[in-house]
Amino acid sequence: MRKYWTIIKTAWQQNLTWRFTILAYRFGEITEAMILILLWSAIYQGSSLIKGYTLQEMITYVLVGNLFEAMVRNYLTHKIARDIKDGTLSIFLVKPIKYLKYMFAKEFGITILPFLMSCASQILVISFFLNKIVLNFDFAYLFLIFIMLALAYIIELFISYLVGMIAFWTVEVDGVFATIIKLRKLFSGGYFPISLLPSGIVSLSMAMPFVYSFYFPMQLYLKKIDLVGGAKGIGLQVTWIIVLYFISNMIWKKGIKKYEGVGI
Amino acid sequence: MSLIQVKNLNKTYEYYKKQPGLLASFKGLFRRDKLFTEAVKNISFSIEEGELVGFLGPNGAGKTTTLKMLSGILYPTSGEAVVLGHKPWEREKAYQLQFALIMGQKNQLWWDLPPMESFILNKEIYEVGDKEFKRNLDELVELLEVKDIMDVQVRKLSLGQRMKCELITALLHKPKVLFLDEPTIGLDVVAQKNIRDFIKKYNQETKTTIILTSHYMEDIKELCKRVIIINHGEIIYDGALSDLIQKYAPYKELKLTFDEGKISKDDLKKYGTVDQFNKFGANVQVDRTRVKEVASKLLSSKLPIDDIIIDEIDIDKVIRRIFKEKFQK
Repeated sequence: MRKYWTIIKTAWQQNLTWRFTILAYRFGEITEAMILILLWSAIYQGSSLIKGYTLQEMITYVLVGNLFEAMVRNYLTHKIARDIKDGTLSIFLVKPIKYLKYMFAKEFGITILPFLMSCASQILVISFFLNKIVLNFDFAYLFLIFIMLALAYIIELFISYLVGMIAFWTVEVDGVFATIIKLRKLFSGGYFPISLLPSGIVSLSMAMPFVYSFYFPMQLYLKKIDLVGGAKGIGLQVTWIIVLYFISNMIWKKGIKKYEGVGI
Repeated sequence: MSLIQVKNLNKTYEYYKKQPGLLASFKGLFRRDKLFTEAVKNISFSIEEGELVGFLGPNGAGKTTTLKMLSGILYPTSGEAVVLGHKPWEREKAYQLQFALIMGQKNQLWWDLPPMESFILNKEIYEVGDKEFKRNLDELVELLEVKDIMDVQVRKLSLGQRMKCELITALLHKPKVLFLDEPTIGLDVVAQKNIRDFIKKYNQETKTTIILTSHYMEDIKELCKRVIIINHGEIIYDGALSDLIQKYAPYKELKLTFDEGKISKDDLKKYGTVDQFNKFGANVQVDRTRVKEVASKLLSSKLPIDDIIIDEIDIDKVIRRIFKEKFQK
């Protein structure tokens, strides 16, 4: 256990050397949120309710949702792929440490700083819109949301890990990854609430693990789902984590047999 | 039972043939030829505790592939290997705690942090106690003379300094077996010598078993009493270095660069065997014991020689000689 704590600390230190980059990214994020708010404001000129959402709720969806998204994101996918393609994975194969645990611990250490900065910048933006958004200070809901986001973080790590392992079978991962990133965002509700889509697709989305990173916690926040519904969602998340863990181990075993350690 | 025992080890890589050209690339989307490379063919050897053995061979001979199998990175296609009583590719923790691998071209230190952080990380990974860590670290830092770069970002270190830190990282947990893959590659002459001296001393003092691969004769010559030569995946020589040098590399090469002036092949013939000759320079092969004498004679002679490099014989030539002898037998 101690070795993983050391990994987290070392990764945190490494990331501190990139403070300015992390800060610069935040400006881009804020701009994106502003653009979406402008878009929705324009769309709502025609009607006050779209598929059950008011303008106020939609702006909340964008701002608070982005805050949630900042909390659960990771950049593990291309790191895994790069280790496999470059042969850097070999270094881990000879050491008494599990690659999955190492990468999860490292990613956690690396995302702490951007996470803190992102939260700070998102909260700053929210403070400008306080009178335009829905405020939910209900402790029970916030507590469930917190647990849901923590579990969503773990789910996202597993998904990134699985996608990254595609590199065991093909070197050409860039196109695949770019597409998967967009699909993940779509099915998590990151572009807009899932409920705007046809009901068939909504059902499909709810059966996948991506919704718990954005849409589901937002539904809880906006109280469109009650506490019982939230608890059920958390139960499903736990199931997903177990399933993803087993699938990851299976794919790893298959992938490592194909690994040739090239790239010297 | 030897510390390292290898029997009939084989490794075949599969790859897809990539044909050049646009049309071929399109065809490649639908159907590709699968080809095989036999990187390691049926090799066997054993190594005892405390030996410092050199794996010598040209690029692509199979040295690194062999090392990767012994360290557990690759599964063999067939054959057996046992190191410290373990099958390497089972990657048992008990085995991993007892060996270390350094690949000259792969960097395992965290790039943006000082090397100390990577040392501490490795300390935890290999479960080295605090007191032991401090003692080992101090010893190694002293031996390698790197005290003043402990707080410098790895990114800013020179290649030679980085290699020294890689060595420290690998040796902190006092491994019983050390695999070194091309450790001096890319280093300047002084750095190469430093690394070699360290490896020699470390092996003598700690009796750590070391396997070193290289395509530089110089590395092997300086360090190893025993050398295994690999060519096209096969072992073509396994024995004492001194015998090898006596039988197949009894000479050194004088690489000459010519100045303006007239010089003919015959002019050089009396100094040694002329291997190559053109208007820019020549290679003259001279007996080891006489090479310094001949070099100074050449320089002080009236011949238009601008520069002389005294070099070790190229490993390719050694291998050719070994083949020739085998073939003649």
